[in-house]
Amino acid sequence: MVRLITHNLLACHAKGCTSNNFPLRFENARVELREAEFNGDFLQGFLPKIEWNALVDTAKQLGDTSLPPEQPEMTDDEFLKNLHHVLMEIHVEEGVMICPNCSRNYPISNGIPNMLLADYEIA
Amino acid sequence: MAPEVTRVTINEPAQAYEDKHVHEVYDQIAPHFSSTRYKPWPIIGQFLCSIPTGWVGLDSGTGNGKYLSLPADRPGDIWTIGLDRSRNLLQHARCAGSDQPIREVVLGDILGSNWRAGVFDYAISIATIHHLVTPERRRAAVQRLLETVSPNHGRILIYVWAMEQDPLSKRRLPESDVGSAGLDVAVPWVLTGTEQVFNRYYHMFAKGELVGLVLEAAATLGLEIGSPSEGTTKSGRGVEIVQDGWERSNYYVELRCWRTQV
Repeated sequence: MVRLITHNLLACHAKGCTSNNFPLRFENARVELREAEFNGDFLQGFLPKIEWNALVDTAKQLGDTSLPPEQPEMTDDEFLKNLHHVLMEIHVEEGVMICPNCSRNYPISNGIPNMLLADYEIA
Repeated sequence: MAPEVTRVTINEPAQAYEDKHVHEVYDQIAPHFSSTRYKPWPIIGQFLCSIPTGWVGLDSGTGNGKYLSLPADRPGDIWTIGLDRSRNLLQHARCAGSDQPIREVVLGDILGSNWRAGVFDYAISIATIHHLVTPERRRAAVQRLLETVSPNHGRILIYVWAMEQDPLSKRRLPESDVGSAGLDVAVPWVLTGTEQVFNRYYHMFAKGELVGLVLEAAATLGLEIGSPSEGTTKSGRGVEIVQDGWERSNYYVELRCWRTQV
């Protein structure tokens, strides 16, 4: 389960790949939706840490267009509900994540992303 | 009788040795290991209770993920993401406790940097860094934790196995060998049912060694040690040792990062 809460924090770390290495792009993503407990206080605290453009674009890749292109200054219930759904309820079970800079592939299997590098890729 | 731990000498490349004597072992003993690891240590529970709502953290070397659901009385107020090298342990961590919601876990190395720099508000690394075979790798692991949390307010808690053992511990140490450099040992794990024995590598920390690693890692990153000086007139970054001590055969250290801007 790579959810977008985790995806928004991940970056490529292959040797020499230090800029434009985020966000990883999903390919062949198999998605499952699972309801999760809503926690508005958590979302309010997490908001400033989100890379907003990355989240909006990635949600679109996965077929969700509910988020506004700009992070709103005032948050209302509807916005928080949409944000909750995007961050917490979309699970990518299988697929790959691809670095926008060096095209390194990170596979996702059984909901677990593999971020391990081979010896020669370690910086 | 409790199994003895034995002293080991490492004469292979570090990564190859850790693969064989740590990662492969955990993958094989995962279900049994997981069934024995359920009770959180008190100071770790207190640390996670003190984390403010809305914070996101990393559990570096999460194992079976027993800390991912804490604090139990404020579910969903904070999110801890688990990282480990054992896929089999992560399968347990993913749904720690059968009726628990699914957790976020990532297969990765504690020496990797697969996160946006400084993105986490807090990080814990419990009983993990002692599986690295050289002082340089152990220092690098501390460095990664310092890099992965916010330079403004990041909080860190690290636990490692101590040479100073609890009198109630079942472990028996090799005699002598008490020095300041710690001790490299193999610890047997007897797999129930098969009586198969797996030896895991541990570096048992000497008193003061963990704090020493923190000081070295901070120096490498150019961080000041201590709290920000009052009324400072220059910008700076630092890390404060909030507490360090010994609990149940382990040493721990709690850190807080800070940045002053003028």
